[in-house]
Amino acid sequence: MDSLIKKTAKMDDIDAMFSDLLGEMDMLTQSLGPEMTSNSKRENHFSIGFTDFNESLNELEDQDLDALMADLGSDSAESEGRQQTAVTNYVQTQQQASSQSSAPPHVQAPISLSKMSSLTCSSTSLPPEPPKPLLPGEAEAKSKADKIKLALEKLKEAKVKKLVVKVMLSDGSSKTLMVDERQTVRDVLENLVEKTHCDSSCVDWSLCETNPELQTEREFEDHEYLVEPLSAWTRDSENKVIFLLKPEKYLIFKEPQIFYLWKKDKRFLSEIKDSQKELLLKENFERPSVIVPDLEGQLYLREDGKKTWKRRYFLLRASGIYYVPKGKTKTSRDLACFIQFDKVNIYTTSDYKQKYKAPTDFCFILKHPQIQKESQYIRFLCCDDEHTLSLWVHSIRVAKYGATMYKNYQAAVRRASTFSSTLHLTSRPAPGPTPTTPSTVQRAAGKANGHVPQVCDDVLEQPPDFIPPPPPVCNFGI
Amino acid sequence: MAAWDLSVTVEELGPEAPPFKVSVTSDLHIGGVILKIVEKTQIKKDWSDHALWWEQKKQWLLRPSWTLEKYQIHADARLSLTRQHMPLRIGLPNQTVLRVQACFSRPVFQTVMGVCHLLNIRHPEELSLLRPVEEKKKKKDKEAEEEVVYDLTALQVSSGSVQTLTSGMPVHFADSAQTEAVYKLLSVSLPAPAAEAITRMPRPSGLVDKARVHSRWLDSSQSLLQQGVQAHDKLLLRFKYYCCHDLDPKTDAVRLTQLYEQARWAILLEDVDCTEEEMMLFAALQYHIGKVSLSEPQPMTSCPTMDDLESALQCLEETMTIAPELQDYLKIFRPKRLSLKSYKQFWFTFNNTSISYFKSKEESLQGPIQQMNLKGCEVAPDVSVAAQKFCIRLLIPGAEGMNEVYLRCDNGLQYSRWMAACRLASRGKTLSDSSFSSEVQNIQSFLAMQQCTPGDDTAQTDKSINTHSLVSPRYHRKYKAEQLAPRILEAYQKVSQLPLTDAVLKFLQIWQALPGFGVSYFVVRFKGCRKDEVLGVTNNRLIRVDLRTGDVMKTWRYNTMRLWNVNWEIQQMSIEFNDNVNIAFSCVTATCKIVHEYIGGYIFMATRTREPTEELNQELFFKLTGGHGDAL
Repeated sequence: MDSLIKKTAKMDDIDAMFSDLLGEMDMLTQSLGPEMTSNSKRENHFSIGFTDFNESLNELEDQDLDALMADLGSDSAESEGRQQTAVTNYVQTQQQASSQSSAPPHVQAPISLSKMSSLTCSSTSLPPEPPKPLLPGEAEAKSKADKIKLALEKLKEAKVKKLVVKVMLSDGSSKTLMVDERQTVRDVLENLVEKTHCDSSCVDWSLCETNPELQTEREFEDHEYLVEPLSAWTRDSENKVIFLLKPEKYLIFKEPQIFYLWKKDKRFLSEIKDSQKELLLKENFERPSVIVPDLEGQLYLREDGKKTWKRRYFLLRASGIYYVPKGKTKTSRDLACFIQFDKVNIYTTSDYKQKYKAPTDFCFILKHPQIQKESQYIRFLCCDDEHTLSLWVHSIRVAKYGATMYKNYQAAVRRASTFSSTLHLTSRPAPGPTPTTPSTVQRAAGKANGHVPQVCDDVLEQPPDFIPPPPPVCNFGI
Repeated sequence: MAAWDLSVTVEELGPEAPPFKVSVTSDLHIGGVILKIVEKTQIKKDWSDHALWWEQKKQWLLRPSWTLEKYQIHADARLSLTRQHMPLRIGLPNQTVLRVQACFSRPVFQTVMGVCHLLNIRHPEELSLLRPVEEKKKKKDKEAEEEVVYDLTALQVSSGSVQTLTSGMPVHFADSAQTEAVYKLLSVSLPAPAAEAITRMPRPSGLVDKARVHSRWLDSSQSLLQQGVQAHDKLLLRFKYYCCHDLDPKTDAVRLTQLYEQARWAILLEDVDCTEEEMMLFAALQYHIGKVSLSEPQPMTSCPTMDDLESALQCLEETMTIAPELQDYLKIFRPKRLSLKSYKQFWFTFNNTSISYFKSKEESLQGPIQQMNLKGCEVAPDVSVAAQKFCIRLLIPGAEGMNEVYLRCDNGLQYSRWMAACRLASRGKTLSDSSFSSEVQNIQSFLAMQQCTPGDDTAQTDKSINTHSLVSPRYHRKYKAEQLAPRILEAYQKVSQLPLTDAVLKFLQIWQALPGFGVSYFVVRFKGCRKDEVLGVTNNRLIRVDLRTGDVMKTWRYNTMRLWNVNWEIQQMSIEFNDNVNIAFSCVTATCKIVHEYIGGYIFMATRTREPTEELNQELFFKLTGGHGDAL
């Protein structure tokens, strides 16, 4: 307590210090480069970052540049200014590169900033401000907090990495966009949907990365920051980003029975009712832990070095892909781990029958996103048919991304339905779980419960429609 | 009406005392009988908790206005006047034993509600009481001496909603320092048990063993006394239905902790199967949870915006202060095909997320021989304390593939610092990150684990820990304690940053995602089949399992269920599903009532809504799980 009081006494000094600090940070903003790539030889880990900004602008074709400039012009004046500083910063960064390892000396603030934060909430003596019923001291604390946030934002702004990205459209044309590292794939998708005037009530729009060298393709997940995977591309990369409709993107949520009841025959699956689909979604995605489809079966594995494909029995679990070692059973404890998903992504492939002598063309690979060329660290798997491939690819996505992927889908559905309702662009209903509860469900549960349950707004936990009549009362004791 | 003598024993007079004879007529109501007895005993005390128990019929006479005639009580009936609430020893999922006042006269469902109310566990419908495994007599005597029982019989709890203090502790635990300590015992996960304790506990060796457990559930619609439970007996309180409704870490401290403990023991005792990788992750989480609970006994509840600011400031601080330098002579080795190059010494420095190396310290001002950015790389230990080998294996991703690099340190301390730095860098963090020093400590404690001598199976303290107490006995046999340490450490990287509650929730999530999670097995015999098979009951379906192979042969989902029926006479259950699918089976390892209650219970669980005001619909529960005339 004592120390707190002492600290409050020092408030004024700190105030002064703070405005100092803000000034300093403005300077920092000018001086701090983005990711400080060293000049030393690092052929392997190249990052197309901020430093390439000028270069990437130069490389653009004229019409692309025009489009981009128009694009930038339509942004707010402030952000335009930001771009300017960004370009000029490039030069300064270069100048600083030799002494980059040490920040400017005045930055070594003698006081620990985290201590200051505890100060900000312990001050006492200011009168409350009118707009909000703030407690005394809170207002001051708040304004300080705002200042700190402002300072932080400025600091961050200086380090934001931006890329100019050329996105290929399905009609063969392209769009060029400026993407900064804080933008998610979803942000970029929305931007593109708006610009290309395509059907905004559809949740299947995707951004895909293609790698011609490996002949692979991966659709980015909506929550990913687009700059991140693009930074792994090599300087001479022929990789492309494509904007297109991917009907399978959220198939696992639209038709969960295909994945969760994959053992049942197709005729049964095609006849399944919407209410059953909703129940599957609820059971597998809306509980505390996401349940991964219990896929298992024979796949071909490309053996390291040998360039042959061998059949093995694989199983998918939330923790990774496993296989059954020779002479062992399928019980959990006997399984050998093939791969875990923390550090790898899944990619679909094309024409691997020719490229790698695969048994079929229905292959997928798992690799670290940094790897761009053929390597022994890439895992190759091959399925018997297209359906099996689809099962594995999307189930692995669920295992890797879990609840995040479901949230992406829900967000996409919400966005699509607001688009269609506000803009009257289409009368097609949003796919996926409809937010209204079927009335039969209500009635059945109402009867059994003795009261009609209210509909909660997001219908997460709706009463089930399966209360069968309990067994008749009977007078035998046990 | 003719008067006759009714003989009643009174608990207060001792078991040896001869029964009282009171003169009654058949139209006298129960309340009147009790009054007569009380007057005759001439003992002045509060009799309000007493009720009449009819020994021969195993029945409570709880309706004071009913007459003896209506209860069909005649002169041959032997009644006793006993308390309805008596002490009961309750074993919790975390293996602590409490003595509480439990209701012996109401259905077990309500007894459990009472106990959960006392312990501040919400949603008592998910729990139930289990008879402990009967142990051999000799062992029992020994055990009874050892067992520590925490007495909570003196706790007074109001019947309404539980008032809690700001720390989340219910007011009624604040009575004394002793009860406060008990609350802590319930709400904070316990240190890892001694490895021997795990080996000593009974483990299911197969499906039939797993099925046998479920034969010990008490009947929720009958009272304790009706089921032969006596005062001071021991029962186990367990989560029975695997669907945790509306779990809220803020208000559910005890519930969450006990659920975690039950999950932990299920893993340690191989009650639910998992792979080796999963086991290592469970071990890492247990280690982490144990460690964090020691350092932060009470979960902090500070306002979120301040947290944001705090972390933002920390971020700022990191970007502004200069990272602590890490530089030293280390040895490096890059395995390449067809080469047997050995380790070479260089001068290494750590910068941001990159390692650079130079020919010597003096040449460090010039350009490095190579710089490696560790962001996104894989870091694995290659350590043998006994052989004084401290290597770090790095797999650094690049466009061409992964570059494999080994760094060799001279000693444990140097290793811990460089290892910690590599770990942080692989997560994109720099040396100045606040977690650097704790990371160094973690690595040191894992090194210490490798040093511990076998046979020294002491329970977890804050410094050293035996890795065998974190995994199931299968891995005790498979690996030595020091072999386990690096594997657990590897998994630990994924979870070391989690706060306590998140770590507990993560443990539960992984547990719940296991394929065998939440299946309660019963050995049954299907109608028309000659051999025993296994029926699995889960929260949404019934499964038919092959007794020998464990393969799932058929699945029936509750949502396709039309009606079910129990024939109590021949102990057979029959269930009708949509599309004219009918099944019927008799139960082998458990009574029909237990299986029926399990299925009905799950269907009841699914009827709950997420409204906070929703009250427990007991009537529906009994309707779905009862089925006897004498239920209430």
